[in-house]
Parts: sequence; C-alpha cells; structure tokens
Amino acid sequence: MSQEKSGIIKLQSVGLLRQTMGDYFGRLKEAVDTGNKKIAWCTSVGPAELLYSMGFEVYFPENHGAMLGASKKADTYIPSAVSQGYSPDICSYLTSDIGAFLQNETPLQKSGFKSIPKPDILVYNTNQCREVADWFSYYAKHFSAPIIGVNTPLCINALTPNIVKNVAKQFEELVPELEKVSTQKFDIDRFRETIELSRDGCVLWRKVLETARHKPSPINFFDSAIHMGPIVVMRGTEYATDYYKVLLAELNNRVENNISAVPNEKHRIYWDGMPLWYKLSDMAKLFAKHDTSIVASTYCNSWVFDDLDPASPFESSALAYCKLFIVRADEVKENVLEKLVSDFSIEGIIYHESKTCARNSNNLYGLHNRLFKKTNVPFLEIHGDLNDSRCYSEESSIIAIETFVDQLGNGQ
Amino acid sequence: MYKVGIDLGSSYTKGVLLDENYNILEYHFVKTGFDFNKASQKIITKFSEKYEITYPIYTCGYGREQLKVETVANSEITALAKAVYHKYGRACSVIDIGGQDTKYIKVNDAGGVERFKMNRKCAAGTGSFIEEIAFRLDVTATEFNEIAEEASEEIKISSFCTVFAVSEIIGKIKGGTSLPNLVLGIYHSVIDRCFELSLMDDYLIITGGIPDNHPLIVKLFKEKFSNTESPENSQFLAAFGSVLLNKQNLK
Repeated sequence: MSQEKSGIIKLQSVGLLRQTMGDYFGRLKEAVDTGNKKIAWCTSVGPAELLYSMGFEVYFPENHGAMLGASKKADTYIPSAVSQGYSPDICSYLTSDIGAFLQNETPLQKSGFKSIPKPDILVYNTNQCREVADWFSYYAKHFSAPIIGVNTPLCINALTPNIVKNVAKQFEELVPELEKVSTQKFDIDRFRETIELSRDGCVLWRKVLETARHKPSPINFFDSAIHMGPIVVMRGTEYATDYYKVLLAELNNRVENNISAVPNEKHRIYWDGMPLWYKLSDMAKLFAKHDTSIVASTYCNSWVFDDLDPASPFESSALAYCKLFIVRADEVKENVLEKLVSDFSIEGIIYHESKTCARNSNNLYGLHNRLFKKTNVPFLEIHGDLNDSRCYSEESSIIAIETFVDQLGNGQ
Repeated sequence: MYKVGIDLGSSYTKGVLLDENYNILEYHFVKTGFDFNKASQKIITKFSEKYEITYPIYTCGYGREQLKVETVANSEITALAKAVYHKYGRACSVIDIGGQDTKYIKVNDAGGVERFKMNRKCAAGTGSFIEEIAFRLDVTATEFNEIAEEASEEIKISSFCTVFAVSEIIGKIKGGTSLPNLVLGIYHSVIDRCFELSLMDDYLIITGGIPDNHPLIVKLFKEKFSNTESPENSQFLAAFGSVLLNKQNLK
C-alpha cells in the first residue's frame, strides 16, 4: 500500500486511471492530427452517448476547465477573458478556458496538442446551466462551427411525462445536424449500445461511490473527484466500464480488509458544491490531518444515470438528464441530500459556495437551514470558487474547517 | 505557575498571563506585523519580566502554529466560546468583530460551539473597514468613537465595499453632512453587517478589538438588541479561552 507523507493511502488504480485518460486524449489527438474522426464538443452532462454512437471523438471543455484549475493557473487566464467583456463573476471554467485560449496555452500541450482540439460541432445541454451555451457560442463563432443544443427547464420539481417528452424530442432533433457533420447515418442500434455502455458505466460508478458507506470509507472526495474522469468524458464507451471494474475491485478489497482512505477515520463529512480544483491536495491533507473523511458529495454523485435504457434511448436520455440533481428544485434536492446523509452516516455537511457557480452552490436559498431542521446534522459554509483562487480566503477557511471538525469531535 | 495564552490574529497578537487559579493577571498586545513568532515573543518577553512563565504557550488564531517555542494550538472559535461561557455561565450568541473578520458563534448551555458563521470574504463589518475609512478621512481610529459621540443623526452608508463607502462619504461631505453623523453611519454599517450573520434569539455578547476600542458600537448594538453585553478587555478572551480549553490537561 502506498502512503503519502500526509498519511493518505493512495489508490493503486490511479496508474490505470492515468493510462485510461492518457489513451482518451491520445484518441482525440489522433483525430486532430489525422482527421480519422470528427470532433464534437460536449457539455459534461450533455448527450455524450449520442455523439459516441455517431462516431465522433468527444471533447469536454469542462474537463479542460478542471485541468486549468488544477494547474493553479486559472487566475492568470481569467483576466484575458474579462478584457474581452466577460464578467469575472461568471463561471470560472468559462473565463479561464477562454482566457487560456486567448493566451494560446493549454495543459494539453504537455500531451503534444498545439491547442485545444478544433470542434467540428458543439453540442450542449443547459440542464446544468445556461453558461455552457454562452461558452460554446464563443468557440462556435471563432471556429465557424455549428452549435446545437438541448434547452432543459430549470428547477424541475415534479418530472412530468410532458417534460421528458419535450426534452426527448429535442434530443431527436439533434440528429440531422449530427449526421451532416459526421457524414454518418444515425444508427439506432449503435445508440442503444452506447446507452447501455453508459448505463453500465454509471452503475459501476455508483457502486464505486457506495463503497464509501462502509466505515471506514475506502475512498474519499479527493479521490473521487479525480477518478470520475472516465464517467464524464468516456460515458458511453467500454473504456469507462473497463476502468470502473478495476477500481471497484480495489475498493471492495479495501472494504473487506478495512483499509480506509483516511487512516484513523473519526469523522465523516458530506461535501456539497464544486471542488476547489487548485486546492485538492492541500485540502486532502487538511482533512486527513484531522482524521476526517469526506465520504460523499453532490458533485461526484452527479454522474449516475441509472435511468438510461437501451430499449428507449431518447426518452431514457431525456429522463436521466432531467432527473439530475442540479436540474431539480430545492424540495427534491433536500430529499436527495437527506437520504445521502443517512446512507453514508454523515456527521457534518460542508457547503462550498462558489463565487462563479450559483447552480452548484446549494446554500444560496436556505436549503442548508431547511436540511438542518430535518436532519439535525451540523453544517459549515465556506466561500471560494471552483477555479478562481482569488475568491478563496484560505486562512479563514482553514480556521472555519478546523473549528467545524472540532465541533464534531465534541459531539455537537 | 503562570500560564500564557496568546491569540495570534491577522492584525494584532493578544496575550494573557494567568495564575494557578486561572485569574488573569496581565494583558498585553502588539501589532502582528508579518512575523507571528516575533510578535508572540514580544508578549512572552513582556510577561517574563515579572513572572516565571510555564510552557507550553496556549495559542489560537491565524498564527497559532507559528511559534518557535512549545505550544498547544487551539481553534480560536472554540477558545472564545469557552472563555465567554466561563464568564457568563449560560448559552448565548457571540459576535466577535476582529481586524479582518467577524464571527458569529452560538454557544450552547454546556459552553460548546453549537454553530458558527464567519463574514463573507470582504472586509465590510470588520476592523479593517473602520481603519481604512479613518485613514482616508485622516482621523485616527481611536478618535472615531469621540467623533461619533457628537452625532446628531444617523446617516445611512449603503456601500459595504470599503472603497465605495469612502466615495459615498466624500459625496455626503460635499452635500454638507457632518463628520460625526458620517462616522455614526459607519458604526451602523458595521452593526448591520453583523446582524446579517444570524438571527439573535437570546443573549448577545460582543467581543473583539472593535468593541473594546469603540464602546459606542456596543451601545448601538444594545439599541438594536437589548440583551447585549460586552465584557471589558474582550479582545483577550480567545487567548484566555485557549488556556481554559486545556484545563483538564494542566497539572
């Protein structure tokens, strides 16, 4: 077992993860260099399965955004986007990504890319936020590429058949343009295959996350935020399912042998909101230092699409992508969180309010107080951002986190 | 046996010296500057002039792990709650207005922290807000209280951004508003930000460097919430609490 100096026990599968992600970017690069496949840009909870079924290599700008955050250089790129008229208060994935593009820089250059892969088509779903449409519009204009998308209703409470029907129709309406760009005829059987692969991958990912119900947890948030890469960017392919079979086996082994991600796990916390990409390692060490494991999160749970059904690929896609947590009204979110808090034996909830991501900041409309009244589980709000480190006050957040964990230790 | 508690804040480092019965015998504070260890050493040296102090030093605050001597570091919020409970012996709300942050703490009836909240990232409602405006108006922060005592009416300062607030104040001065009324408005602005942190449902204790140096602020809190108190030397409470938290470990 490999243990870092901080005491965190590293997962062995991380080597295979690197290879899996490396191969993914290798395929993208091949498409860029040789034109063997067309490249579609897709939003993180967009119709990846449909795109893979039509023979595209699929690039996810949000994955690139997270890489920029993890590189700790996002705040050097954001000003370039701001100078072009984008507000510093909007999605810092967007501003850092466009900013990096304007500066002709990308972490992908380490993998041999000259720049981010040029899109042949951009495909979005506003189920997560409107910003993705604005973001993609910038590049559509720059690259003179077609942009199409699904516009999902916001804050869905009851997910009615009419809503699903409407969104399913929008998914179907993507096909003609995709056929034109891919020069491939849409094949419903191929789509059923990718839907089935996606569902299988999601089920495996869910099982991976569910191993954290065990006390002590074999995996924590700072692992999951990295290991979720395949389900985001390779959803609908065998690469994702193959990877998660291996990861799940390692975690099941940890569970059988009581090997915990955080040695001496004393406290179990739920993380709501985005990761702070530029602080993952520091935060992992901070929580480990206090024998605290973040065993579940809204973010990592977001890529579980159990409802995908190859028997009805369009309708089940609509259902799955509308059922998603981020799309739902607070009432639904509270019920989901209440169940997660119980299932994972959560002692405390941390709400990370991201300055530039209101859709992923669930404490903005009082949900945290209402959930506390239902569950009596104490909570802490910290203020930061997913990518813009200038929005994060580290010292006061550390004090707040340490005090919060201290409180849990006193059983309060 | 003389014990020392030190609260290493971002603006000031505060120290207390206690006897074996946990009575505070001495207080001392210095500007923190950029060297937490050096600031703490000044306090330790000052206390050592008259007393033989024992180690470890009980610390809290931003620089709690920065000393080069033996220390036990504590959460300042937990330490403050402990000290407030030691003094008042009851559940209460605490608002601590420091140099760079403002905290709300709900102390339960066992003296523990039931919940807490800190101000959002900007300096509004903190000591920095008052100090920055004082600097720009060319008065000392300590003169502020005297000036505000002469106010005849409250003027609303709506900006909570320090820089915008100064622009707003200059606009009001041009319009003929008196300085005392403006300074009173600044105090109200700080208080309004504090009340945003939480509903106050019981007994409110105000602590920190700001109420110690601006007693009018405490009076204004009482006007808004009658069950308000602020103990003397409240900015030293967290340092005191750091020692109290470790009472059971002390021989």
